[in-house]
Amino acid sequence: MENPFDILGLPLRFDLDPQDIERRYRDLQRAVHPDRHTNAAPSTRRAALSGAVSVSEAYRTLRDDVSRAEALLSALGHRANPETAKPEPELLMEMMELRESLQEARVAGDARRVDGLRSRVAAERDTTLAELTQQFVAVELGRAAALVSRLRYYRRFLDEVAGFEDEDTHLGSR
Amino acid sequence: MALLQINDPAAAPTPIGIDLGTTNSLVAYVTTLGRPTAIFDCDGEALVPSVVHYPEAGEIVVGREAQALAIAHPRDTLVSVKRFMGRGAGDAETRRLGPYRFATDEGPVVRFAVAGGRVVTPVEASAEILRTLKENAEDELGKVGGAVITVPAYFDDAQRQATKDAARLAGLEVLRLLNEPTAAALAYGLDSQKNGTFVVYDLGGGTFDVTVLVLDDGVFQVRATGGDTQLGGDDMDRAIAETLLSAMGEDPKGELAPSLVRAALDAARAAKHALTDTDETVARVAAPGRAVHEQTLTRSALDALIAPVVERTAPTCRRALRDSGIALDAIDGVILVGGSTRVPLVRRFVAEMFGKTPLDSIDPDQVVALGAAVQADLLAGAGPRKDVLLLDVLPLSLGIETMGGVVERILPRNTAIPAGAKQTFTTYADQQTGFELHVVQGERELAADCRSLARFTLRGIPPMPAGMARLELRFAVDADGLLAVTAKELTTGKETNVDVKPSYGLTDTEIEQMLIDAYEHGESDVARRNLAEQRIEAERILFATEQAVQVDAALIEGPEEQAAIDAAIAAVRAAVLGEDHRAIATRIELLDHAAKAFAGRRMDRAIRVALKGRSASELARETDHARGIEPHLGAERAAEVAVQDERSAEVAAQDERAAEVAAQDDRAAVSDARAEVPTTEQRGAAPRES
Repeated sequence: MENPFDILGLPLRFDLDPQDIERRYRDLQRAVHPDRHTNAAPSTRRAALSGAVSVSEAYRTLRDDVSRAEALLSALGHRANPETAKPEPELLMEMMELRESLQEARVAGDARRVDGLRSRVAAERDTTLAELTQQFVAVELGRAAALVSRLRYYRRFLDEVAGFEDEDTHLGSR
Repeated sequence: MALLQINDPAAAPTPIGIDLGTTNSLVAYVTTLGRPTAIFDCDGEALVPSVVHYPEAGEIVVGREAQALAIAHPRDTLVSVKRFMGRGAGDAETRRLGPYRFATDEGPVVRFAVAGGRVVTPVEASAEILRTLKENAEDELGKVGGAVITVPAYFDDAQRQATKDAARLAGLEVLRLLNEPTAAALAYGLDSQKNGTFVVYDLGGGTFDVTVLVLDDGVFQVRATGGDTQLGGDDMDRAIAETLLSAMGEDPKGELAPSLVRAALDAARAAKHALTDTDETVARVAAPGRAVHEQTLTRSALDALIAPVVERTAPTCRRALRDSGIALDAIDGVILVGGSTRVPLVRRFVAEMFGKTPLDSIDPDQVVALGAAVQADLLAGAGPRKDVLLLDVLPLSLGIETMGGVVERILPRNTAIPAGAKQTFTTYADQQTGFELHVVQGERELAADCRSLARFTLRGIPPMPAGMARLELRFAVDADGLLAVTAKELTTGKETNVDVKPSYGLTDTEIEQMLIDAYEHGESDVARRNLAEQRIEAERILFATEQAVQVDAALIEGPEEQAAIDAAIAAVRAAVLGEDHRAIATRIELLDHAAKAFAGRRMDRAIRVALKGRSASELARETDHARGIEPHLGAERAAEVAVQDERSAEVAAQDERAAEVAAQDDRAAVSDARAEVPTTEQRGAAPRES
């Protein structure tokens, strides 16, 4: 099974330039997308479809921080350790408290508070991302895996906030 | 209209682009000089109102003539039928303000009861509109080739399939179902030639779409899309009509005479249009059998009535922006599409939301059809433009219903397409040989709140203790946004049959019957047409394959592969001389199978070239059964492409040259009308194991 980095022809590192990922994706689709092979024999078109799907999947994986980190861990041969894969109790507590605050703020229609919570979690996420980059550079894969776990929690929280902002228009911000 | 068109009977058929709109439809094509152009009917009009009238006896009427009959025959004249496409008979739309009579409120398809005791589905009505457009195009162009038909980006699988079914009934080959905002962006992008990030705000008669796109050197990449397939100008009309009806002393939610309803809706629409240019107008409801009702309507009153409709587009816009990952201030421009964007309130709203004056230099009524024509030309025409590529996304998340009715997401919304995903399941009971899966589309947590797409029955799982079987399901979404599912039991490697039962829509048998009924001589005509279409398809494939084999003889590995391909080619040729269209189809599948590894190597080289000489990655794919993606291509089993060693720069350059030649040959291949072959396996049922 090849990894998405190889498919897009990008180096095995975490801090890829998003523009590089975009450009590579578009360049490859220019070559392989079925629409470029409309006059070809069906076997060619089928291979093109396969190729386009692979390229799309690789693009999707690399674009997202969490899935990119997971793909990188896998490509570097890291095997998930059930011990370290368990989330830290402090993180769980922190997330629980944050979620309670979010619920309260939402029920009270307090847009400022919701926004404050979001900024706080976004900041923690950014810090974690920076740490994660360092751990990959140092090839500390166990430590990196733990940080990815954190990232997932932060991301889930931020997605939830964003979802609320969709539905509760008075909370919506531009 | 300038010069007389002298149609060369030997010329290739012209591909066309069709905007099948809720309110109006349009057909366009790209001229030999590369200009997208709308086709006008004999009255000099480009827009064909999407209205179909069914008389007691005689020919069905489409367009402006049908519109004129709407008030006198409200139940037999179908307006905005697009709103009913792909919907079940119990859908909420059937209970909204409208004059129709429904034959049933149960079942997978809406059925209108119209004059002459006829029962008509939205697919059949849409087919009538498409047929009219096709005839207008043939009057202008002579032979018409394949068509790109646009659909709202937010149309789900059932609505898309219904559109394809309508095209099939109308005798049109569908080259692609293209999302309307993408089509509009294509028209604008080619016009302006400027790279950048754009938002398309498309508010039509019945549907709303918002799309965020990046245009980069000929590649139009959709980043995110959102919408509402039951939100549009018609809802504005309803709000206004309800006010008018109340003023007339009628209860808008009560039982109303259909002709009154149609008259009120028409008056509402006319007033709305008038208020685009003035601040005050008189709405006039002229229902048969009662006094004419006149009422002054001001611009501000209108704004108050329609504001809730317009506001409903706001959260959708915000979510699309967020999904795209692009900041508001990174947007270079906003494009307005759809007649409803002429309403002043809508323009103000869009300008405020995005902080930009919207672009509308291309007629918002035509821009979608023009974009479709460009795509049709790209896919099937002989035009010069080959440097443009559209990359679209899946508009709605796809998921499976799991225990407890919760949705397990398989492919999230805004995934770039074509896309694929895998999911592994196992059995619950000992010796279990099959089970059912429910596929849904939508963003909600519970399957019951999502749109039911299809139920799959998996059969043929080898009997095993519970929990032992490894059933791998592969989901693939093609460039039309349509889903195909294939399944393999991993411990035995056995492919299981996937029986797809779509939750909405017409069955293949029903469509076949409609096709047969449409022909005076019924079944024999259909068989003859199938044979003719298969023969054309076979010729096209033979030509392309023989070309490829000639140019890339070096990529064929060994005399066995050459012999296998040669034998398969000969078999197709033999079948073409016969009378059995299914035999031709089968032999084409076998040729496809024989040439597959060879095709994989050619694609691998194309990718290598794109990666500029880097060593090729392992492109291990196991795409089972692409049936359903392109029905007449048949099934496949993908081969593993071997790892390639790093080649020297010289060989890489050689590759590049050969690839260039091959690409040129592919383009030069004669593209006869690629007929869409109606097969009974069109919906994704896997073939029996051979």
